Amino acid sequence: MSAPRPGGGRQDRVYAPDFLTELFRNPLDPGYADAAAARRGAASPPPARGWRAWSTRSVSLVVVVMLGFLFAVAYRQTMADEPGRSQARSGLVAQIKERESQTDRLSTRADELREEVSRQRDAALSGTAAARLRDLEASTGLGRVRGDGVVVRLADAPDKADAVTGAGAGPPRVLYSDLQGVANALWSAGAEAIAINGQRLTATSTIRSAGEAMLVDFRPVTGPYEVSAIGPSSMRRKFDDSRNAALMRDVAQKTGLSFGVRKANDLTLPAAPEPQLRYAKPSVSPSPSVSGGRSGSPGSSGSPATVSPSGGGR
Amino acid sequence: MIAVLALLAGVVLGVWLDPTVPAALQPYLPIAVVAALDAVFGGVRAKLDRIFDDKQFVVSFISNVLVAGLIVYLGDQLGVGGQLSTGVVVVLGVRIFGNVAAIRRHLFRA
Repeated sequence: MSAPRPGGGRQDRVYAPDFLTELFRNPLDPGYADAAAARRGAASPPPARGWRAWSTRSVSLVVVVMLGFLFAVAYRQTMADEPGRSQARSGLVAQIKERESQTDRLSTRADELREEVSRQRDAALSGTAAARLRDLEASTGLGRVRGDGVVVRLADAPDKADAVTGAGAGPPRVLYSDLQGVANALWSAGAEAIAINGQRLTATSTIRSAGEAMLVDFRPVTGPYEVSAIGPSSMRRKFDDSRNAALMRDVAQKTGLSFGVRKANDLTLPAAPEPQLRYAKPSVSPSPSVSGGRSGSPGSSGSPATVSPSGGGR
Repeated sequence: MIAVLALLAGVVLGVWLDPTVPAALQPYLPIAVVAALDAVFGGVRAKLDRIFDDKQFVVSFISNVLVAGLIVYLGDQLGVGGQLSTGVVVVLGVRIFGNVAAIRRHLFRA
């Protein structure tokens, strides 16, 4: 800390090594060497005895006591901080868990109530009106439908990323645009009802991603993704021929994603949640133009072979 | 020997009194500990080099702690946040490492 450097040459100009080099070469405070040199230079081997020496010694002892005190206080402080931090974290985790179970409970309750409403309505309405309403609900996605179709399965590539560095965790994942492409290709191949991991798509459904999570209609879905579609028997072939399917096959081959299409009989797709109309109001005059083929055909059950597990989205 | 006893006495005192650090001083505590460690290892090495000096030890301890605290404070005021204290930790860490290496050479002749 003081200017004279130990062992400094007598030359007029000494270029001092830069600070870091000096630091690495001589980590000891130069003051110690200076003090030793001064003591030696004083040529009086017995250092000051008596009160003066005793006081410096006691001061340094007091400093050592302070050191211990400081260490203890710092240790206790750090330890005292730790439970607070982990408590906050576990509290947040518990809150998330609780809210999740609450959401699950509420959504099952909503499903029950929806069933109840439709049952009551069926009871209240006359036969033809109820059937027409059911058909409309089925075709718009608000009613549960059954039928034969295909299931497209997409899954992230097996995680080859380094667990420590996380390098290479990027590309081989299913993107929201893949799901969008598959859904659009299925619609254009003639699908009448589509659900992604048990989330029914309607005219206003969204498929997007927020960070790592994939959101279908603002509800998170996790891989593997199963896009179930009900449609005509030609749908499988048309979908396989579509540009999106070719693209996905290509992507799967190159990146290791899994992409598979299989035929599924007697699929059951759940109803989508009731859309919230904020600006559009239902016009009262009913236009009786229900196009013939798009009625969802709730009665046409095929052979009851494989009930696809299209649920389990959450 | 006496120094070790004094250190233990300080630890016992700290545990026994269990003082609460005021919130304003809390950010300075870790850096003060690092600075104190530097002073301790410097003192031990000087002792082994037979050039230990009480006054030098006291002054280096106090000035280390004060300067380290000052730099942290300055970093806060300048808005560079923890980066200035990172510098302090690096410098003091290098010194601690060098001194511990010297102590090791003294003790194990290797």
